[in-house]
Amino acid sequence: MLKYSIRRLLGMIPMLILISIVVFTLAKLMPGDSLSGEIDPNNTNPEYIAEMREKLGYNDPLPVQYFNWITGFVQGDFGKSTKYKRPVFDVIMEKIPNTLFLGIMSLIITYILAFMMGMYSGRKPYTLGDNAIAGINYIMLAIPSFVAAVFAIYFFAFNLNWFPFGGSVDILVETGSAEYYLSRLHHVLLPALVLGAMSTASYTQFLRNDIIENSRKDFVRTARAKGTPIKKIYNVHILRNSIIPLVTFLGFDFAALIGGAIITETIFTYPGIGMLFLDSVNVRDYPTLMALTMLLSFLTLAGNLIADLLYGIVDPRIRLE
Amino acid sequence: MASSNTITQQQKPERSLSPWQIARRKFLRNKLAMISTVFIIIVTALSFAAPFLAPFLSPLPDVARVNIGSMNIPPNSEHILGTDKSGRDVLTRLFYGGRISLLVGFSATLMVITLGTLVGSIAGFFGGFVDNILMRFTDFVLNFPFLVFVIVLNTILRDTIDGVSVLIIVIGVLSWGGVARLVRSKVLAEKENEYVLAALSIGCSPLKVIRKHLLPNVMSTIIVQATLIFASMIVVESALSYLGFGVPQSVPSWGNMLSSANEPDVLQGKPWIWMPPALVLTCTILSINFIGEGLKDAMNPKSLR
Amino acid sequence: MKKNKSLLWLFALILVLSAFLAACGGDDEEATPADTETETETETETEEEGDGAAEGEPQQGGTLVYGIDAPPEGLFSSAFYGIATDAEVIALFDEPLIDYNENLEPVPNVASWETEDNKVFNFTFEEGVKWHNGEELTVNDWVFALETIADPDYDGPRYTNVQTIEGAEAFRAGEADSISGIEVVSDYEITITFDEARVNNLTNLWAYPLPEAAMGDIPVAEMSASEFVITNPIGIGPFKVDKIVQGESVEFSKNEDYWNGDVNLDKIVLRVVDNSSVVGALQNGDIDMISLQPVSGPEVEPLENVEITTYPGLSYYYVGFKLGKFDNATQTISEELPKYQDKQLRQAMMYALNRQEWVDAFFFGYANVVNAPVPSSHWNSADDSELNTYEYDPEKAMELLDEAGYVDTNDDGFREDPNGEEFVVKFSHYATGNPTFESRAQAITQYFEEVGLKSELEMVEVNLYYDMIEKDDPSIETFFGGWGTGADPDPSGLWKSDQLWNYPRYNNPESDQLLDDALNIDIVGTDQDKRAELYIEWQKIVNEDLPMLYIAELEEIVALNKRVGGIEFDVSGQNNPAEWFVTE
Repeated sequence: MLKYSIRRLLGMIPMLILISIVVFTLAKLMPGDSLSGEIDPNNTNPEYIAEMREKLGYNDPLPVQYFNWITGFVQGDFGKSTKYKRPVFDVIMEKIPNTLFLGIMSLIITYILAFMMGMYSGRKPYTLGDNAIAGINYIMLAIPSFVAAVFAIYFFAFNLNWFPFGGSVDILVETGSAEYYLSRLHHVLLPALVLGAMSTASYTQFLRNDIIENSRKDFVRTARAKGTPIKKIYNVHILRNSIIPLVTFLGFDFAALIGGAIITETIFTYPGIGMLFLDSVNVRDYPTLMALTMLLSFLTLAGNLIADLLYGIVDPRIRLE
Repeated sequence: MASSNTITQQQKPERSLSPWQIARRKFLRNKLAMISTVFIIIVTALSFAAPFLAPFLSPLPDVARVNIGSMNIPPNSEHILGTDKSGRDVLTRLFYGGRISLLVGFSATLMVITLGTLVGSIAGFFGGFVDNILMRFTDFVLNFPFLVFVIVLNTILRDTIDGVSVLIIVIGVLSWGGVARLVRSKVLAEKENEYVLAALSIGCSPLKVIRKHLLPNVMSTIIVQATLIFASMIVVESALSYLGFGVPQSVPSWGNMLSSANEPDVLQGKPWIWMPPALVLTCTILSINFIGEGLKDAMNPKSLR
Repeated sequence: MKKNKSLLWLFALILVLSAFLAACGGDDEEATPADTETETETETETEEEGDGAAEGEPQQGGTLVYGIDAPPEGLFSSAFYGIATDAEVIALFDEPLIDYNENLEPVPNVASWETEDNKVFNFTFEEGVKWHNGEELTVNDWVFALETIADPDYDGPRYTNVQTIEGAEAFRAGEADSISGIEVVSDYEITITFDEARVNNLTNLWAYPLPEAAMGDIPVAEMSASEFVITNPIGIGPFKVDKIVQGESVEFSKNEDYWNGDVNLDKIVLRVVDNSSVVGALQNGDIDMISLQPVSGPEVEPLENVEITTYPGLSYYYVGFKLGKFDNATQTISEELPKYQDKQLRQAMMYALNRQEWVDAFFFGYANVVNAPVPSSHWNSADDSELNTYEYDPEKAMELLDEAGYVDTNDDGFREDPNGEEFVVKFSHYATGNPTFESRAQAITQYFEEVGLKSELEMVEVNLYYDMIEKDDPSIETFFGGWGTGADPDPSGLWKSDQLWNYPRYNNPESDQLLDDALNIDIVGTDQDKRAELYIEWQKIVNEDLPMLYIAELEEIVALNKRVGGIEFDVSGQNNPAEWFVTE
């Protein structure tokens, strides 16, 4: 297992280098730079802009620019955001807690929903309840998350006033107070629900099918013969076996959450990495854009790797490949 | 098909149906899939007939024209679904929007399937070095965070040709990885069969073997996959357009129409502008998925129905 | 190039350009303390000034929640900020040495001045003005600010406001250790000598000090990232910064040592409110005041607890023609482009535009049609009675086009040019995420088409847009644009033929001469009326020539909760926040 993991980890390195080249090339291909959108007659003059371009190294040859960028990057120096005039690292670190919070909440929601529905369906397959759950799952899977988000805001935030419709925290609460954390939770709930519902369906169906399959296995029959209560069989024996393959989903969820976060954060104006990313595209904040693209690529890569490794643990045959 | 027809003519018809016929029967019997099919056909037909229908739909048949005099009209007898912030008829735009959304979805799917099948079948069939190189490349593409790269690429290329083609190409080029993997694994499995060996030993060229023998056998998988991809491509288009990174704003698409929900006053106070595209989009996606499931069921010999 | 930009004002172009639909924050960052005269002077102001919110006596205490609808970039220092939202934040805790009244004339604030020749200025500071860290403000802090800005390592955009001081160039080039035109007389007196006498030397001069005691040890190159800019800014204003949460909020508390009168409020909390939440937040009373986008106006108007106040802005929108090409090396217009040279064609296109309808549809009544490129609240603006107002008149437009030889010769429904060639008006507008931009641009092309001019619209990515215009990219023929003019009403920087930002490449020696004369101290002396006369003369010329079609000037809109009082606005911005109060 260790050998396999190391091999896979090393395999990431050329991938990351390739991605970094692609990211850099793309950023350089993007039309306009951070200065071209900022001409203001009361504020800047053409010499200033030309001077800043020179200072920021926009006029160096490309390989030099790449080399400068990547050496800095590896050492944790992501450059200075052209928009915020501060280290990109700091800008990103400010937003990460929000995104992380959203991601974790949405995972929790996914798990809770999936376990509740999956276990019910697994225990009572082909009943009305099972079919209803399958139907709901189906719709959740099919509705585009941004449409769901728009509807969620319209109904739950505007019409029912259950949730706030944007931001990460209320305007007037003292940071650090209990009220503050409640408010943050309140704000994250709706986007997390939308984001979480996205992957619930696949979890639920997997869990359901696995439980059904397991319930026909010998160990269940044995347990039953020994007189173990049905409830215990389901909640302990079967569930334990069904959870293991489920963890492999976690890695893939990573990647899905990244894409989902960009959309969800933007719609809910939830200040996190996704919103920062779109903003950096819009204002051509290249240092931020490149750092974020690298970060998101790395996370996707890491997510896929984790999924594979977990899969390797769950199903040892994989490692032989 | 042709051969099976001749056989059915000679023998009694009910007995030996070709797998395709079985599938068709099963599919026809699947109510949900049939309703969905009808729905999709209607949506497609209305969308593509939009230029002919427009004059009958409202007094403002020109989808592009801004009508300062008739902005933000709620639904009434003249404008069945009202007008948007630029004074354009929502129903008319809904029909026109379907054209773009479906077209982008379809073209992107075609691209994804073609690329994916090509790479997958070549990799699977030849194996070894070729397989290694191609699959590494596939991994590479698959490991990109899709949305991130689509947004960046589309921003770069948007002004090069026209916005719609660029979007199709960009999402096509970035999403074939999954299909390639799937086709490869199917081809790998299928390749082991004796008939392939036989075909090769009588001197069939590898390309011909792939085309004549392997692909038809993985066709059912590809078709099912294609429907599901079609749905997700429509979602990708509309999500990108919603965020402002998809087709240009001048082109009516469902996503672009929905993007007006970004404005709080529209989202809250003028639901007639964004709800119709949202609902039609959702129903379309659902229908396509139902059709996909129906096809999967129908083509799976083990399925019960 | 000439330095005629007043940096105290950061305006519309950013507003116009800001990549997101949101970013048009407030107009200016200028507090106008000691500006109690609220009356008369211009008609516009009497109507629009005043708060109309809470009545009665100012009350002590309380917290005011100040909303802004775009996140600040976080450069909270007058010398370093780049966008209007940052400036809005700065205006709450810092103030300039010299202020502007409602006629946009400089008035003393911390510093008063004397000059005889508009070249040498003697400034006297108020004594006992304290920075928020307790240090006393002296002229040395101003010298420190000026030298920081003139430093070669300085990475902000303010150098033009220091450049005109004698010796600034030499200092920047490293040839001198100090700026020779700055002479410290005492802690409260300073003499500044400019490189030449100009009528607008004072308005152009950088008038914000920096706290030398706090920032003096920081290398200039690192200053913009230092704590005194990002996390712990220090000013001399009525409020001090308590806490900054990047991109979300800033908390201010009362400055007990404020030099200029009592401060009513205990606290101000500035919150970033997303555009989508503005109306709801106002309705719930979550925010007490915020600058509004025109589009939100109609939604806020019906709210019972909120009052809308408008005041004249200093920016205008236009449709420009590319009449030539600019050579940046020689600073001249090197080539004339023939397509739109015919004045009758341009006038016809002006008559074809129903500007009133357009402005009402896209700015919801919060903008006024203009006929010349000087905002009407400037003292040198020409009255409409002196200009051709180009009332919407498609008949007249068609007549003019017929006269000029633009007639439909091939019966395609559109006019050909006088040589019988196809004539297509190519119109460009910047594209952002805001879908209304496309609508409003398209509405303009529709007006042209209605008089028989075939028109094509091209939406150009905003980050490229002004770059392309500036470089005279051949794909740009007619274009939508906006300018903010700032406190200094001199339009030379945008209009003279040797200016890069004369985007239409308007080349009229007569116009250049008038603009030069109006700044020439030998011709106008210090007589403002005489200057105004020349500017009005100039406006008549550009109103006739129409190198651009003037569309509208915007109004600034502020929503105030009714519990808020003491807030007043005029064209120079808000009054001193010290006077603001809330009632419970």
